[in-house]
Amino acid sequence: MVTLLNRLQVTECLKLCHTVVDGMCGRENPHKGDYCATWSLEEWLELLNSLTTFFRMAVGNNCSDEEVLAGLSNVSSDHSETVHSVLRARQEEIKRTLLDRTTSISCATLQDFDWQLKLALSSDKITSLHTPLLNLSLDMKENGVLQPVTLEMNREELNALISSLEAANKVVLQLK
Amino acid sequence: MEEVDKILIHALKQVGTEVSEEVDSVKQFSSELIVEAVVRCIRVIDPGLGGALPISLPPGMSARFRVGMSLAQACQDLGYKGEIGYQTFLYSNEPEIRSLLMFLVEKLPRESAEASDQPTGKSVVLQRAIAAAIRAQLAVPWLPANCRLPLHEETQGPETLHSFHVQPLSLPYCTKAAGQKQRKEVMDYWRDILPPVTAQASHHASVMASLMEQHTAELSAAQEWDTEWNNQGLLSRLTPQEYRSRKLTRLRKRIEEQLRSAALPHPESSFGGPRSTSDLGELLQTFRGSAPPEQILSKGTHFTHTQKFTFTPDSAAVTSSIPTGRQSDADIQLRHQEELASLQQQFQQLCSDVDQLTADMKHMSVTNTQVLDELKQRVLGNSEKEERKQVKNKTIDLLPDADNNLLKLQALVEASANRVVNLASQWEKHRAPLIDEHRRLKEICSNQDLESSRKLSEIKSLHEKIRVSTEEAKKKEEMYKQLVTELENLSQDVSRSAYTQRILEIVSNIKKQKEEITKILSDTKELQKEINNLTGKLDRTFAVTDELIFKDAKKDESVRKSYKYLAALHENCNQLIQTIEDTGTILREIRDLEEQIETENGNKTVANLERILDDYKAIRQENSALAAKVREG
Repeated sequence: MVTLLNRLQVTECLKLCHTVVDGMCGRENPHKGDYCATWSLEEWLELLNSLTTFFRMAVGNNCSDEEVLAGLSNVSSDHSETVHSVLRARQEEIKRTLLDRTTSISCATLQDFDWQLKLALSSDKITSLHTPLLNLSLDMKENGVLQPVTLEMNREELNALISSLEAANKVVLQLK
Repeated sequence: MEEVDKILIHALKQVGTEVSEEVDSVKQFSSELIVEAVVRCIRVIDPGLGGALPISLPPGMSARFRVGMSLAQACQDLGYKGEIGYQTFLYSNEPEIRSLLMFLVEKLPRESAEASDQPTGKSVVLQRAIAAAIRAQLAVPWLPANCRLPLHEETQGPETLHSFHVQPLSLPYCTKAAGQKQRKEVMDYWRDILPPVTAQASHHASVMASLMEQHTAELSAAQEWDTEWNNQGLLSRLTPQEYRSRKLTRLRKRIEEQLRSAALPHPESSFGGPRSTSDLGELLQTFRGSAPPEQILSKGTHFTHTQKFTFTPDSAAVTSSIPTGRQSDADIQLRHQEELASLQQQFQQLCSDVDQLTADMKHMSVTNTQVLDELKQRVLGNSEKEERKQVKNKTIDLLPDADNNLLKLQALVEASANRVVNLASQWEKHRAPLIDEHRRLKEICSNQDLESSRKLSEIKSLHEKIRVSTEEAKKKEEMYKQLVTELENLSQDVSRSAYTQRILEIVSNIKKQKEEITKILSDTKELQKEINNLTGKLDRTFAVTDELIFKDAKKDESVRKSYKYLAALHENCNQLIQTIEDTGTILREIRDLEEQIETENGNKTVANLERILDDYKAIRQENSALAAKVREG
């Protein structure tokens, strides 16, 4: 319910809208606690949802200024102007986020990764090993759930992984 | 000898002997120092042999004696050929100790020296660094959290456990290419609202990671573009913008094809079915619509609502319809359910309707095109027939006055033939310069082509060169750094060049001396020859004189006297020569003896003798003490 925005000051509204866009782009979402005097929990969720959807739709469909303002007809002109300016300011970012979402269309996607290189100096049986080991941790997003996957590889295994990744990259390049 | 002593002392210091700063020659070595140095050398050369030997001399005299014996034995075991015994250590003399120490230092293992001579690889440096770091960390004791200093935080604090998480950042410069005019709203946002980059990430720890990630992504994108442009873009001879746009359209087409082939098998799915206008956006929508939403985008129920509004044909304004979906939710659960059911039913109904209609439409469109085709063909046939009819009409009109008309026709034909010839000649006239012009232009064109391809190859080779030289520069830089670190790590006290210079000097000195020796030798030989010559001459002269005088001596008394004198003179001269030779021998002997005295003096014989006497007394005392003990016991 975008109309709920009318209860807020224009400056506050600007801040809120930007924070909502921040949340969409993968940063921190706005905190309910800051606005609990203005809206009930249900209204809050409603507002967040509708704002998010509004931004998404407006950017995704490449709406013109008139269309956007028509969509905001049921809020006061100041507020609609604010939301509109936020939309225009963050258009590129929202577009990038939407593109990212579209490209991660397969069932499991890589969200983030980290690696550590360790040198095993010795083991319980061998005093001097000098074997480098790679700890690779992948954050996989599967059905909207973030799942950490951790692998430990020695040199040969790492080479196998790299060569298979290179083969995959070649396929992608051929698509280009 | 100073140089040799310096080298020896340096080597001994490296082995671990504590040689004080004042000691700078072997002469100043005390017995204790000698024993320590020898034992440490033996320990390095052969740990099994040196392990049993004590580093310092024991206080008891007999024990000292035993240590000296075992040390001498160990040295002989190592292969020392010179004279050695307990006295070498206890009552040292300089040359013996020097030769022993030289032998031991030469025996020291050389691996370390050889290793430092070879250019150490990167991995060796790295491993050394790792070892040093681990050693340092192991040396630091573990402390509970409250007692930790900043020094410990690095290895023991919780900071090391932070994983590398990335969050997207919003940076002003990267949203659009530089130089483009930004919208006013964007500028306002950047100026007033956008927090600094350190405040954008939710955890302080991920700021660094996010920044690095962003930077890497941009860098790799730029690099990829660079290589692509150098490999393919330059060859296509387009401006970058043109190349980009062409690539974009090519990709679009590909995706479109892929999607079309993927969408074809399900023409009956809810919103599927290839549209007659196959634009990419619509196709993408069909693709989005035909997959179950929960699997791709976890939007939940809201997505289904919006999806419905987006894709049903009569959703006029997307934005105005958003809030209605949630309103019923807020009212009553039951009504919501009912409505949901009815809506779903409606939805299904609509879906089937749409399917039906799509199928109908498809059928209709197919028939329509068929009919249109037929119509076109008919129209074409009609016009053809009409033309034929007109020709026939004219012929019929001309028939009555046939002869006249034939003549007219012939004249007309002739005239037109003439005209054709005329035109052809004119055309020829025009054609020749045009063809020339064409050829010229073609030539220019091919020339330019050649030139441009030459330049292209030049550019390519230049790029290659740039790449190679940057790589080389990088490599050299790395090598330089490595060498600098190695140089810093090297011990500074041995100046190699000084030694080599010294050695060269010594060699040249030896050469000079050798030359002198050969000179003296040749001189001596010459002298010898001369002496021989003279002796021969003297002998001959004497024999002749002797004969002459002997002949005359028989006749004359005075001559006989002179003969006697001659004989005496000869004898005396011989004796004189003998004496001179003897003197020379004696002088040489004297010199030899003086040298011997010198060396004996160098051996500190008197002092050593005194010490031996003292030690002898000490041993006697010990013995008597022991005997007393035995008696008491």
